[in-house]
Amino acid sequence: MINLKFILNGKEVTVETEPSIRLLDLLRDKFNLTGTKEGCGVGECGACTVLMNGKAVNSCLILAAQIEGNEIVTIEGITNGNELHPIQKKFLKYGAVQCGFCSPAMVLSAFALLKENPNPTEEEIKDAIAGNLCRCTGYKQIIEAINESAKELTSH
Amino acid sequence: MIPSIEILIPKNLNEVLGILSNQDKNFKIIAGGTDVVTGLKQESNRFINTEVLVDINRIAEVKGIEKRNGKISIGAASTFTEIYTNPIVSSELPILKKAVATIGSLQIRNRATIAGNFVNNAPCADTVTALLVYNATIEIESTNSKREISLQEFLQGPYKTQLKKDEIVTRINIPVPPKTFVGDFYKLGRRQAVAISRITFAVLMELNGNKINEIKIAAGAVTPIGTRFPELEKYAAGKEANNDFIKSLASKLGEEIIKLTGLRWSSEYKLPVVQQMFYQMLKRITKK
Repeated sequence: MINLKFILNGKEVTVETEPSIRLLDLLRDKFNLTGTKEGCGVGECGACTVLMNGKAVNSCLILAAQIEGNEIVTIEGITNGNELHPIQKKFLKYGAVQCGFCSPAMVLSAFALLKENPNPTEEEIKDAIAGNLCRCTGYKQIIEAINESAKELTSH
Repeated sequence: MIPSIEILIPKNLNEVLGILSNQDKNFKIIAGGTDVVTGLKQESNRFINTEVLVDINRIAEVKGIEKRNGKISIGAASTFTEIYTNPIVSSELPILKKAVATIGSLQIRNRATIAGNFVNNAPCADTVTALLVYNATIEIESTNSKREISLQEFLQGPYKTQLKKDEIVTRINIPVPPKTFVGDFYKLGRRQAVAISRITFAVLMELNGNKINEIKIAAGAVTPIGTRFPELEKYAAGKEANNDFIKSLASKLGEEIIKLTGLRWSSEYKLPVVQQMFYQMLKRITKK
């Protein structure tokens, strides 16, 4: 067991853990942050996407000990209290959520994209979410929701 | 389930080399973990005896991209995102940049590293063909040795390299290609994103008018490991790059690949695809 210290959703946290459990399991089992989902478990579906130092990563491919001192943001970390993030609101408005299993990761991929590139083209949006599989909603509504989010976030 | 494994997080290269010099334990170096973690999870033979993982993400000596003595030196643990967004790579190594862009997904490219790609040495490693046509060399260190060898020499067979247990790849060095060289990278997968490549080609060539001065050709995924074709390159040098010739070159590449792999159940389909895609690629490069 190791004592692991890192920044989780803006707060410094310390946790006792096996060093080789996956970040995905650490978040879900030790912190009860179940917005991070497990799909394939081998880095192909993107349902476990979180942000590490601002970049979208698969939390199923990172081991707990590797995140020491790093900054992790999960879907629970982008809301403002009980108020949804603007990207989440657009996902609802544009029907970009059906079963919802891919949605937290999809929103985080969009969040990371818009932080780096506030005015993405449709191709850039597609590239940013190419690692996030959706099997029911369809990508059209998701791309539209991200595009509309970009417009709203840059208009302020 | 990932087995319970000790993970060391050294702070500099000397510390890494010291750890690796202990021959009593089975160490594996981990950077992005996109092969290591999946390998552990799937109980792959190559990872099953791992006792300790050595994380190299904080080692400055294996990070960063810079020009050194006329070469572009890429830190072994540079992520594909770092390589893709690097201005030196963008202006000097377009074939590598294109290969990097085809890898996995953004999430994978944000973690996976260039040395991880060829140290794992899967037949389908996307960047190997690009690195081979650029004549990349790699620096390898242990506590009592430091050597630099060509990537081609380093790669021995599918999932096999020259890397010894106490060694680590520290840098990849690429001679800056003269501006007169043109080229391209091609990947065929089952879909656009997060796809294991079925075919990769890289070509780097210098044309003098319509004549081929020099050409470097590499293929991957359809060969046991990423491979250059020196005989084909010699054959093409000095020839007119007209339509008939590039067609014959593509046809010969297909035959060379069959020589390497032997006839397989898929050859009947793959051979014409390989030849056609390589022909199209040469057409694009020579603008025929």
